[in-house]
Amino acid sequence: MTLDLLTTHYNYYAVVLLLGIGLYTVIESRNLVKKVIGMNVFQTGIFLFFITLAYRAGGNPPVVTEGAGPYVSPLPHVLILTAIVVGVSLTAVALALVVRVYSEYGTLDEHTLEELYHD
Amino acid sequence: MTLSLIEAVLLVFVLGCAVGAALLKDTLAAVMAFAAYSLGVSVLWLVLQAPDVGLTEAAVGAGIMTVLFLLALSNTASPDVDRLFESIGWQTAALVAGFVLLVGATVPALPAIGDPNSAVVGGEVTQYYLENAYDQTEVKNAVTAVLAAYRGFDTLGEGVVVFSAVVVTLSVLRREVVA
Repeated sequence: MTLDLLTTHYNYYAVVLLLGIGLYTVIESRNLVKKVIGMNVFQTGIFLFFITLAYRAGGNPPVVTEGAGPYVSPLPHVLILTAIVVGVSLTAVALALVVRVYSEYGTLDEHTLEELYHD
Repeated sequence: MTLSLIEAVLLVFVLGCAVGAALLKDTLAAVMAFAAYSLGVSVLWLVLQAPDVGLTEAAVGAGIMTVLFLLALSNTASPDVDRLFESIGWQTAALVAGFVLLVGATVPALPAIGDPNSAVVGGEVTQYYLENAYDQTEVKNAVTAVLAAYRGFDTLGEGVVVFSAVVVTLSVLRREVVA
């Protein structure tokens, strides 16, 4: 039963593991740059979920030509293209804030920053 | 479909790089692990028949993103590295394990990978785009047709997001483009 699920749903289990790894990095890392990396890993997990949903066994990329079907679904691909670009924008803003925090406080360590904040 | 060898290798590689990025203590090493991770993911998109997403991921995810991280690292100081890996925080690990089990419990409800009758692949929205994209937009690539024609306003919104991100980044860093 479980083994059956693993052979038909393996990508979804990879998605769940990636979400877990991303969440762990965001919560546990003391360094702010690593928190941003964790956020990106989490995001890519969601991407894998969408692209796997769009997949069709034996399907071709959705470039419509005579006799090339069947195709995988184009719609999740479009959503993820947009999400990748939005993700990069998010990362750029987050890293700009990280650089600014460093130039103001001279550290990227979460615990040191908390102490500085309370003083 | 059954798990092909190349996909199994890619999934293991991607998960390994993610764990490396999570646990490596040196931030430069973590960024390198993340860059390898992005590259693995973009090949995974190719295997899953999504070449548009794969190209974007390789150019933007593995390319621009890594440059952004390296720029951030060059403007900050790395933490002291007394050992290669960070110690595992068991409290957080337990919390995350609970999350993983909770989300993992929903997986059996999903359709099997590659099922042609699943709601997404066999649904009428997908069929409509595939059947009408060329007649209505004269673009053969259905992804481009949906991105630029059917959902053009979404893409405009995406442009607004990128523009705002550039404005915010420059103002946070107090840089002036036009002096």
